[in-house]
Amino acid sequence: MNPPVSNPPGLNPQDQPPSLRKLAEIFFRIGNTTFGGGYVTIGMLGRELVDMRRWISSEKFDLAFALARVTPGTNLLAFCAAIGAIICGVAGAVAAVVALTAPSSALAVVIMQAFESWQGNRFAMAAIGGTVAAVAGMMWSTIWTILRPHVGGPIRNLQVVLICGGAFLASGKFHITPLPIIAGGTLIGFLWKDGKRR
Amino acid sequence: MNLLLLYLLLLKASLTSFSGLGSLPMVRNDFVVERHVFTDHQLNMAVVAGRTGPGPYGLYLVCVGYLAGGVPGACMGFLALITPAFLVIPLMRWLGQRADIPRVRSAIRGLMLASSGLLVSSSVPLTIDAFTGILSAVLMAASFAVLTFTRIDSAWLMLGAAAAGLATLWFR
Repeated sequence: MNPPVSNPPGLNPQDQPPSLRKLAEIFFRIGNTTFGGGYVTIGMLGRELVDMRRWISSEKFDLAFALARVTPGTNLLAFCAAIGAIICGVAGAVAAVVALTAPSSALAVVIMQAFESWQGNRFAMAAIGGTVAAVAGMMWSTIWTILRPHVGGPIRNLQVVLICGGAFLASGKFHITPLPIIAGGTLIGFLWKDGKRR
Repeated sequence: MNLLLLYLLLLKASLTSFSGLGSLPMVRNDFVVERHVFTDHQLNMAVVAGRTGPGPYGLYLVCVGYLAGGVPGACMGFLALITPAFLVIPLMRWLGQRADIPRVRSAIRGLMLASSGLLVSSSVPLTIDAFTGILSAVLMAASFAVLTFTRIDSAWLMLGAAAAGLATLWFR
């Protein structure tokens, strides 16, 4: 008689872990058909993996979401790696990240090639000019999205002004490279704790 | 450009950021300011190309890799994009137990704030490059407002901005 197979720790106990192929299929389908950035994709994955297929518990899903936010790089990819690792181990992490990213990366290169070959086309350049302006607005929205949770209360606001403003001046006016600025911001945060939960 | 160097530069940018576009200051510093591999305008185009299709915001790194080294460069960009994601696996074991320590939380907060300041610093020249007149300013403001205050999909925003750009030809 075969020994009982125990599920990975994040899986609901009554459910069998899926095959690597099945896991990759889900990430491929959702990651390459969802527009609107990381949060939209994470929401779709939660609906599919937690609510519909029950491959992972909501507690583990939340943990993956929280840790992805403090992992360097693109949050969405770290989130996928965490979910893949919880469900199918390290191979699951690799499968999830590659399935989600490789097709859309190839598409981005095709779009980039198209942009380059359209340089002389005034219709294409007018359309691209419009989207470049929209992306500039998008960058400022990203900045606000990052800053918003840190604003509130005199001490916290002072930290925002000093660390964020200091980093801006150090880079923009004194041309200090980003690495020491990031290290400095982390050190200031470490030494000057605000004592409040985010 | 040497592919290993390209990978390492993009990996450095990816490793020192905590959001898709957070790597922009490092990329601009290394490729536009220091090495003159491409211009602010080309960097803007790479960001647009990365945002036009589905997938995470950080996909622009693949386009940056393509600009610097063609298709092999794009592969380096892809690898640099996905490599840091796997750090979450040891992090799940280590930080999962320490994430509530106030000093760890404050250090992460300091890091996020410094990253934001850098993002502001690199967004200013890119915004100046994207400014071509009243319409571009209106599009920037509208894009900011739509993404910040509504749940409208960014794909619709990009389509609308492209249509507005085309409409300007009508009035010339």
